[in-house]
Amino acid sequence: MENSSKEDYRIQSFDIETQKLLKTALKEPSAVDLEKVSNVIVDQSLKDQVFSKESGRICYTIVQAEAKQSNGNVFRRNLLNRMQKEFKAREETRSRSIQEWVCYVTFMCNIFDYLKVNNMPMMALVHPVFDCLLRLAQPDALQNEEEVDCLVLQLHRIGDQLEKMNEQRMDELFFMLRDGFLLQQNLSSMARLLLLEILEFRAGGWRLSETAHKYYYSEVAD
Amino acid sequence: MLSYQQLTHLHPVSSRSKGSLRWSCSRKRGLDGSLRRCDGQEKADQSQRCAENRSSSFTTPEGDGPMSRCADWASEVEQEEMRMGVRQDVQRYRRRILTADFNERERKTSSGSSECRDSPIPADMETDEAVLMRRQKQINYGKNTLAYDRYIKEVPKHLRQPGVHPRTPNKFKKYSRRSWDQQIRLWKVKLHAWDPPVQEGNDLQAIDEMDLDDVMEIELEACDSAESEENTQCSKNTKDTASIPADSCTGTPSKVMKTEANFDLS
Repeated sequence: MENSSKEDYRIQSFDIETQKLLKTALKEPSAVDLEKVSNVIVDQSLKDQVFSKESGRICYTIVQAEAKQSNGNVFRRNLLNRMQKEFKAREETRSRSIQEWVCYVTFMCNIFDYLKVNNMPMMALVHPVFDCLLRLAQPDALQNEEEVDCLVLQLHRIGDQLEKMNEQRMDELFFMLRDGFLLQQNLSSMARLLLLEILEFRAGGWRLSETAHKYYYSEVAD
Repeated sequence: MLSYQQLTHLHPVSSRSKGSLRWSCSRKRGLDGSLRRCDGQEKADQSQRCAENRSSSFTTPEGDGPMSRCADWASEVEQEEMRMGVRQDVQRYRRRILTADFNERERKTSSGSSECRDSPIPADMETDEAVLMRRQKQINYGKNTLAYDRYIKEVPKHLRQPGVHPRTPNKFKKYSRRSWDQQIRLWKVKLHAWDPPVQEGNDLQAIDEMDLDDVMEIELEACDSAESEENTQCSKNTKDTASIPADSCTGTPSKVMKTEANFDLS
C-alpha cells in the first residue's frame, strides 16, 4: 500500500522527510503547512522532467482532500500564486535554462489537465497556457528540439480541451506552426516530423488517422 | 495588395490582438469589460493591455460574462467556482419550485379545492448573477463559522422551528439590497447563540458591549423591511448580539476560528 502510493504520485525522487510531508498532506491537509507543500511540489516540478509530467495528480488529490476536510483552498491558492509568479518570470527562466522553462510549461499544462473546477478546466489558466505554447512556437524556440518536443506533448495531452476553451488562439498557434514548418530554415528533421505530426493530429480532430499513425509510429509496437 | 489574412500569415506574431476582424467585431465588450468600438483603434489599445498584466480582468468570447477584476489566478478560480456553484443552485431551485408548484396543482385538482394558494412562480425569482454571487458570498461568511457548524450538528433540518431556529436567507427571492443585508445580519446574530463557550457570562458581556444605537437601528429597520420571517423576531435577536460583524465582500472566507479550535482539541 505504501509503495503503490509512492508509485502513483511519483514522489520517489524526494527525500524521506519530504515524502512524509507529502503523504501527510494527501491524507490530512490541515495538519501541514500547505504553502510549504505547494512550494516543494513546484520546486521539484521545475527541476525534474518526469515529475513535471505527473505532479498534477498529487496536486489534485491534495486540493480535494483539503476541500473535504476543512472546506479550504489554501493549497490551491498557494499553488496558483506560485505558478503565476513563475509565469511572470518565464522569459528570464527560459534565458537561464531551457530545461527549467520546458519543465514549467509541462507542469502548467499538467495542472490545467488535472485541477478541474466542477469538471471544467480552470478558465484563469487558458490564456497563460496559450501564451506559453505560443512562445514555444516562435522561431528561436522551434530551433530547439527540446522545446518542440514539449510543445507537441502538451498539444497531444490537452489540445482538444484548450481548443474548446478558446478556438481562436488555437488557430493562432497553428498559423505559427504551419509557418514554422514551411518557412523556417534551420529546423532539424526531427522538429519537422514533430510539427507535421501535430498538424495532422489537430486536422484529424485531435486524433491520428490509422494510416498517419502507421506512418509516424510504425517502428513502435505491433 | 496583400490582404490582412495574408499579412498575418507571413509575419507570425504572438500578439493576441491580431485576431480575425470579423470575430472581434461581433463581441460587445473588450478585454477589460468595456464596450468596444469596431475599428482599428481598440486593436492598438488591446496590444498595449496585452503587454501589461494579462491576467487582470477580461471577457473571453467563450466566457460567461464580465468577470470582476481579479489580479491573481487564485481569486479568479475561486470566483469561477462560486459562479458555477451559483448556477447549479439556480437550476436546482427552479426544479424544486416547479415541482412544488406542480404538486400543488395536482393536489388542488384532486381535492376539488377552489382556494387559490400563493405558489411561488420561477419568474419572480432573483436571477441576476452578480446579485446571487454577492449574496452567496455573504451566506458563505455566515456558514464558515464554528457557530454554524455547531448549529447544524445540534439541530437537524427536520427539527427546526421557524422563529426559534435561524434560517439561511433565500438568495433567490426578490428583496431590496437593504432588506437582504438586514436579513443576513439578523441571521448571523441568531447564529451567535451557538458560539462555542469562551468564558462564563458570555451573553451578559454581549449586552453590555452593544451600543444602544445599534439596538434602535435594528428594530427600526426590521419594521421597514419586507417578507423576512426573522424580522418579527428581531426584538428577541438583539439580546443575543455580541458585536455585529461588518461584512466584507472581498476575498474568500476562511475558517480562522475553526483552525484555532483544532489546535485546542488536538
